[in-house]
Amino acid sequence: MNAFEIILGTLLSGLRSATPLLQVLLGETVTERSGVANLGVEGQMLLGAFAGFAIAATTGSPWAGLLGGFVAGALLSAVHGALCLWTGANMFASGVAVWMLGGGLSAFFGIPFVGRKIDGFVPPDFGAAAHNPLLGPILRAATPGVLVGLCTWVACGLVLYRTRPGLRLRAVGESGESASTLGIRPSRVRWAAILVGGGLSGLGGASLSVDQVRNWIEWMTAGRGLVAVGLVIVARWNPWWALPSALLFGVVESLALRLQTLGVGISPYLLSTLPYLVCLAVLAWGSVRARARGAMPRDLAQVFSSTE
Amino acid sequence: MNRRKLSTFASLAAIALALGGCEKKEEAKPAGGTIGFVYVGPRTDYGYNYAMDQGRLALEKDLGKTTVFFENIPENAEVQRVMERMIAEGVKTVFATSYGYLDPALEVAAKHPDVKFMHGGGFKLAPNLGTFFADIDEVEYLSGMAAGAATKTGKLGFVAAHPIPQTLRNMNAFFRGAKSQNPKVTMNVVWTGSWSDPTKEAEAANTLADQGIDVLTMHVDGPITIAQTAEKRGIMVCGYHADASQFAPKGWVTGAAWNWAPLMEKIVKSIDSGTWKSENLRGNIRDGYVKLASYGPAVPEPVKAKIDSVKKAFEGGAPLWVGPLVAQDGTVKAKAGDTLSREKIESMDFLVQGVVGSVK
Amino acid sequence: MNILLRKRRELSERFRWFEGTLSVAAPALVFLLASSAFFALLGRDPLALIGQILNGAFGSTYGIVETLVKTIPILLCALATAVPARLGLLSVGASGQFYAGAWLGTGMVLVVGGSHLAMPAMFLAACAGGAIWALVPGFLRAQWEVNETLATLLLNYVASLLVDWAVYGPWRDTSNLGWPATISFPESVRLPVLVPGSRLHAGLLLAILLAVGLHILLSRSRWGLELRVLRSNRKLGEGVGMSWKAGAAATMAIGGAVAGLAGILETSCIHGRLQSGIALNYGLTGFLVAWMSGQHMLRIVPISLVMGALLSSGDALQLFAQLPEATAVVLQAILFCSVLATGGLLRRWRSP
Repeated sequence: MNAFEIILGTLLSGLRSATPLLQVLLGETVTERSGVANLGVEGQMLLGAFAGFAIAATTGSPWAGLLGGFVAGALLSAVHGALCLWTGANMFASGVAVWMLGGGLSAFFGIPFVGRKIDGFVPPDFGAAAHNPLLGPILRAATPGVLVGLCTWVACGLVLYRTRPGLRLRAVGESGESASTLGIRPSRVRWAAILVGGGLSGLGGASLSVDQVRNWIEWMTAGRGLVAVGLVIVARWNPWWALPSALLFGVVESLALRLQTLGVGISPYLLSTLPYLVCLAVLAWGSVRARARGAMPRDLAQVFSSTE
Repeated sequence: MNRRKLSTFASLAAIALALGGCEKKEEAKPAGGTIGFVYVGPRTDYGYNYAMDQGRLALEKDLGKTTVFFENIPENAEVQRVMERMIAEGVKTVFATSYGYLDPALEVAAKHPDVKFMHGGGFKLAPNLGTFFADIDEVEYLSGMAAGAATKTGKLGFVAAHPIPQTLRNMNAFFRGAKSQNPKVTMNVVWTGSWSDPTKEAEAANTLADQGIDVLTMHVDGPITIAQTAEKRGIMVCGYHADASQFAPKGWVTGAAWNWAPLMEKIVKSIDSGTWKSENLRGNIRDGYVKLASYGPAVPEPVKAKIDSVKKAFEGGAPLWVGPLVAQDGTVKAKAGDTLSREKIESMDFLVQGVVGSVK
Repeated sequence: MNILLRKRRELSERFRWFEGTLSVAAPALVFLLASSAFFALLGRDPLALIGQILNGAFGSTYGIVETLVKTIPILLCALATAVPARLGLLSVGASGQFYAGAWLGTGMVLVVGGSHLAMPAMFLAACAGGAIWALVPGFLRAQWEVNETLATLLLNYVASLLVDWAVYGPWRDTSNLGWPATISFPESVRLPVLVPGSRLHAGLLLAILLAVGLHILLSRSRWGLELRVLRSNRKLGEGVGMSWKAGAAATMAIGGAVAGLAGILETSCIHGRLQSGIALNYGLTGFLVAWMSGQHMLRIVPISLVMGALLSSGDALQLFAQLPEATAVVLQAILFCSVLATGGLLRRWRSP
C-alpha cells in the first residue's frame, strides 16, 4: 500500500466513523445558531439509535429506521424546548436532564432489542469497480448513512447562508430582540431550530446503530454527542466547517485502532483517550479564536459566559 | 436548614416507612428454593451471558426448577446488594456467572451459610461456595484450524476486549490451530478496551478488513457486531461463546461455544441429593461443556475431517499446550515435547510468535 | 391565572414557610404524576411500584443501610458540583474527579500501604487527584473562557480510561488470574463500619461534616462573601481587588477534592480495591442533586438521601417488578425535568 492509499484509507475510515458525529454536529450547529444550547444531544442520539434499530428490526427497512431515529430525536428535543422556552429553565441543566431521559428511556425500552438482527443497507454490487484500488474503497465507504450525512452537510451549509429561513435563524441567534422588531418571531425560530437539531442528532444515532454498527446496546454512543457539542465551537458555528471537524475526531479514533494493528505497543486505553483529548485541545484553541473573532452568536454568548 | 422543610421531609419519610411495612410479599417461596442467576451483561447478547442463560433455561426445562435472573450487574460490590436481595426472596442457590463476582460472592456467602454459591471461573472456595468453568482452548484450536484452511489472504484478525489470560489462551490456541493448516498465516490483534462496545468492535473489524484480513474472530462478550461487520465486508468470521451464524449467513466458518447445561444440571442435582461439595469444577471438550459451533458455508470440506480427527485426539486426552511454545519476544515458554502446567496455562501472559499485537 | 397568583401572594405573605414548601411540594407532585403516568403507560400499577421502591429503599434494615451507602458518594459529588456553582461555574465533572481521586489515592496506597500514615496519605492524595482534575477545566475557563461544562464532560471519559489503563496494566493484581483490579486494600486504610456486618462506613459522617463545613465556609466567611460579590457582578468585584480567576480555581479545586474523596472512599471502603466502572452514575446524580438543592450545601444532605433511596431501590424493582436497572435512570430524569419545569414556572409566575 503506497502512501496515497494509506492516506485515502485513513480518511475514508475516518469518514465512516465520523458520520454519526457529523449529523449531531450539524444539528447542534443549527440549534445553537438560534441562541439555544442543547447538551441533551447525547440523549437524543441514544434515543435515535434505539428507535432506528428497533424500527429497522421490526419493519425490516433500514430507511424507515433512519427516519424513525430522526423523529425520536426531534420528539426528545421537544422536551428540551419545553423546558427552556416555556418554563424558562436553565439551558445547560435542561440539556443534562434530556440526556438522562434519552439514555434511560433507550436503555429501558431497548432491552428486548439486544441481540436482534437487522439487515442494514445491502451494498450494491459494484462489479469490476470494487477491485480498483482507488474506486473500491471509496465505493465501499459510500454507504447510505454516509451519503445522507454528506447531503445533510451540504443542505445545512446552503440553507444557513443562502436562504431566507437561514437568514432568519442567524438573525435570531445574534439578537432575538432585534429580530422581533423585524417581524420575526424568535421563539418560533428557536423551536424549529431545536426540533431540527434534535432530529438530526436522532438521525446520527440511527446512522450509528443501523448503518455503521448494526447492533444496539444501551449507552452505546460513548460520549459522541458531547464531543459534537464541543466541535460546534471548533467549527465556529459554521456548518461548512462541521465536516473537517468531525473528520478530525473520526480520523483520530480510527487511527488509534489502526496503530494497534500495526503493532504499536501503546496501551489501547491510553490510545482511546486521544479523541477526547484532541477534542478538548481543539475546543480550547477554538474558544480562544472564536471569542477573538466574535464568531459566536451573541445571544448564545450571553448564555455561555453567564451560567446561572 | 429550613426547619419546616426538615419536618416535611420527616413526615414523608414516616409515611414511606409505614407504606413500606404494609407491602405484601407477592411471591410464595417454592420448595427446594429458587435458583438465582446474575449476569454481567444482557442475556440476549448471543455471547457469554447468552450461553450462561441457556444453562439456566435447561435447568427450568429439564429439571423443572424455578429460576430468577438479574442482567447488567457490574463486576463490583454492586452485585452484593443484588445477591442479598435474591437471598431475602428465597433464592437458595446463586450462580454468579462472571469472574469479577468472586470476592463479593465470598462475602455474601459468609453471611448466608445455608445458601449455596456457584461462581463461574474463579479458584477460591468457601464451605458453601464452589466454582465451575471449562477449558475452551481446544475448541479454539479447532476453530483456528477451520480459519487457517478457509483464509485466502492468509491474514487473520482477532478482536478482543482485555488482555487477560483466558483471552491470551484463546488467541494462542486459535493461531496455532490456523498455523497447523496454513504455516504462513499471520494474525493481527486489536483490543477494544471494553467487554461490550459495539462501536469500537465495528471499527476494529473494519480496520482489520481494510488491511486485507479475511477471517475474523473475537473474544468480547457478544459476537454479533463483529459477525455482522464481517458479513457486511464480505469476509469470514469464526464465532465465540455461542453460535451466532444467523448474523453472518455467508461468512460463518465455525466457532467455539459453551454448553453449560450438563454442568449446571450436574451441580443442581448434587445439591438436591445432598452430595454437593465445595470444589473447583472444571471440564473441557471431553465432558461436553464446550463444543464447536455448526459449520458455515465458508468452511472447506476437506478440513472438516481433519478437525474431526484432532477433536477425537483431544477427547482422547491429547494435550493442547505442548511445546515448542515461543513468545513474541523470543523467550521459549515450553521446549519441544514439554507440556505447560495448569498454573502456567491459567496465568498465561504472552502471545506466540507470529501474532501481531501487544499484550499490554 | 391572576386569581391563582393573588392567592399565592396572599399565602406567601401569611405563612413564612409557604414559598419554601411550595418549591419542594410542587416538583414532588409533578414527579409523582409524571412517573405514575410512565408506569401506567407501561401497563403497570403506579402505586404498587412506588410502594416497592419505598419498601426496597426503607422497608428493612438492610434497605436503609444500603440507601445510606449509596447516599455517601452522591452527597459528595453533589457538593463537588455545588461549590463551583457558587461562582456560576457549571461543572459536570464529578465523575472524572472521582476517578482521578481514586486513581491517585490508590497509587498512594500501593506505595505506602503498610505504614500508619497510609490513611491520611491516601486521603490527601485522593483530594489532590480530584483537585488537579478539576483545575484543568477551571484553568481553561479562567484563562481562555473555555466552556467548563464541555471540558469537564470530556475529561470524565479520559479519567475513566486512565483507571482502566491502571487496572488492566501496571496496577493489576497478577495473583488474581488477570481480573482487572488492584490488590485488596489493607485494613489500615479502610474506615470503620458504622453498622456492624454492613457496608456502611464512617464516610457518611465525614460527608455530612463536609456539607456543614462548606456551608459555614461559603455563607459565613469573608471568602464566601467575596464569591457572592464576584458572582453577582464580576467587574465590580475585580474593581475592588478580588480575583475571579482565583475564585474559579479555588472553587473548582475544592469541588474536585471532594469528588476525589468520594472516589477513594468508594474504592477503599466499599470495593476494597480499584476497579473500572466504580463511579457508576454518581457524577450525574450529584449534579442533579446539587441542582435540586439550589446549590445549597445543607439541603443537599436530605436530597442526596432521597436520590440514594431511588438508586438503591433499583434492584428491588428488578427483582419484584421485573423492571430493568434503567428504570432508576428514567425516574431520575423525570425527577430532574419536574424540578426544572416547576422551578422555572414558579419563578416566572411570581408576578403578573
